[in-house]
Amino acid sequence: MLSTTLNPKLVNPTEEHEMLRQTVREFTRKEIEPQAEEYDRKGILNTELLRKVGDLGLIGITIPEEFGGAGMDSTAAVIAHEEMCFSDPGFTLAYLAHALLFVNNLFYAANDDQRKRYIPKTITGEWIGAMGMTEPSAGTDVLGMGTVAVKRGDNYILNGRKIFITNAPEANVFLVYAKVDGRITSFIVESTFKGFSVSEKIQKMGMRASTMAELILEDVEVPAENLVGREGGGITNMMRNLEIERLGLAAMSLGMANRCLDVMLRYSNERQAFGKPIAEFGQVQSHIGESFAKIEAMRGLIYGAASTIGPDHRNRPASDAAKLFAGRAAKEVADSAMQVLGGYGYCNEYRVEQFLRDAKLIEIGGGTNEAHQKNITRDLCKLVQV
Amino acid sequence: MKILVPVKRVPDPELKANIKDGKLDLSGAQWVVNTFDEYAVEAALRLTENADEGSRDGEVVVVTIGPDDAAVQLRSCLAMGADRAIHVASEDANLDSLLVAKTLKAVYDEEKPDMVLLGKQAVDGDTNQVGQMLAALLNLPQATFAASIELADDGKACVVSREVDAGVEFKKLPLPAVVTVDLRIVSPTSITNGITPESHEYADGPRYASLKGIMKAKKKPMDNKTMADLGVSGSPVVKELEVTLPEARAAGQIVESVEELVKKLSEEAKAL
Repeated sequence: MLSTTLNPKLVNPTEEHEMLRQTVREFTRKEIEPQAEEYDRKGILNTELLRKVGDLGLIGITIPEEFGGAGMDSTAAVIAHEEMCFSDPGFTLAYLAHALLFVNNLFYAANDDQRKRYIPKTITGEWIGAMGMTEPSAGTDVLGMGTVAVKRGDNYILNGRKIFITNAPEANVFLVYAKVDGRITSFIVESTFKGFSVSEKIQKMGMRASTMAELILEDVEVPAENLVGREGGGITNMMRNLEIERLGLAAMSLGMANRCLDVMLRYSNERQAFGKPIAEFGQVQSHIGESFAKIEAMRGLIYGAASTIGPDHRNRPASDAAKLFAGRAAKEVADSAMQVLGGYGYCNEYRVEQFLRDAKLIEIGGGTNEAHQKNITRDLCKLVQV
Repeated sequence: MKILVPVKRVPDPELKANIKDGKLDLSGAQWVVNTFDEYAVEAALRLTENADEGSRDGEVVVVTIGPDDAAVQLRSCLAMGADRAIHVASEDANLDSLLVAKTLKAVYDEEKPDMVLLGKQAVDGDTNQVGQMLAALLNLPQATFAASIELADDGKACVVSREVDAGVEFKKLPLPAVVTVDLRIVSPTSITNGITPESHEYADGPRYASLKGIMKAKKKPMDNKTMADLGVSGSPVVKELEVTLPEARAAGQIVESVEELVKKLSEEAKAL
């Protein structure tokens, strides 16, 4: 992999970050890369690998040390996603859904009893977690969700549906958003709770090494002690977590783009046409030059944003901008890689076609481009309104 | 059991070597722990722990001789699980194998470990000399290219296996001793220390620095020394004159038959 030409302190602010990157890179090379193509082809999640990722400590990357985590920051989470995505975007997405959408989300919203009950099992990868927000008829318009929770005795009774839920087929536990008296509230729902079920796997274009399904909530009985935070506190929980989620997804785009540039660079130096390497042709140079510029721009934006975001530090416009820009840029870089490789790119061998399929997801999942544009405009407008 | 593990930083062997004006151009190098030294750290950790219980039973001290930023590689070893580090300041250009061995001898004299465990060679210079020179300077028994190490019950000796042309050779060494390791030392059952149950199987290869290990590494002690502190002086006796890439290999040939192959081997290659 090419290293950045930017100030190395931007991407590895401390010695710990540098060691983390080295460890994850080595782990990716030895453990993730060899299995990636097979799991993409089969369309299944490698749960054993997720446990190895847990052994390494990556699932609890942002969780404080006293709760069994590594106690690292958003930049560290970005490093982990970037490095793993160089080899396996689908698996990294499953990791993100578990480590950020569930573990990080729950930890910072939960009370100590809930942490004790759910963090130790999920931080190791023994239990897989997922998060349920999007519904069949409410995506970007999240406040329009229809899932409801009604208090009955010591339980809340949940009804509704959640769609496109990454890890749902394998997950043991879910963080589910539902409305109590019209106010969005978070609940911890175990897959064995009465009334809870999961649909068949939903087939998809890319990110096939992670799985998704629909959650079906039919009079699900959730004990009141599994309400996270307070009634109506769901939005705060959701918003707090969305920023690190977007950084993770943006970092995944960066990892995918790194891979695609790496492949096209090697290929264009070896592949000859008209008696010389195709890297000497202006048309190919246009793809390489533009891709490199996009990658360094992504990197600057993502790491610049990451250093401003933490459980107590919010920066919505920067996280939206990072994902909006990186998602599109990575898709373009993957497309360039395919164009440079021509027929070899369209076929499976170099895995460029997989990265193009995978890269598209970031323009949709975890917030569509349109949602980011809406958020950014709203946040910026507030700055100029009198 | 106290083990001293000398480690060297090397340019990442996965990356292409650049040569400029007859010298290796290391300006953009990414530095990593020499592969075989990383194996030595792994072997030392296995010798001083109960892997089933996840507890330590002994001390692993890593030492490097190198410029300021070589501390990063020492931290990596601490993140893997080594207990403390010694950083002897020096520029790479001012060193050769003998000076390194003399410096390590001085460190040995201060630390008095039960064993010095190191890679059989560094993957940059590939000289394969430091372990042997160190054993000679210390007048200690040595076993090179160790494929396995079995510690005696009383902790006063070890049996080292080495893969040689004729098979596997076993050497019993009284401790303290100098042992250099080969790649098989990180096989699942290559280390027997009398503490970890013999049924335990390690994952193949050196362990990764876990995130917890990385966060702990900063709090572990690292001593900074100079060669003068250790009473070592002198300049390298081996001088590097020029570095060149090996000649590019000529293209291969595809032959039609065994007869043609034999003919070419005999007449063209003169190998028969």
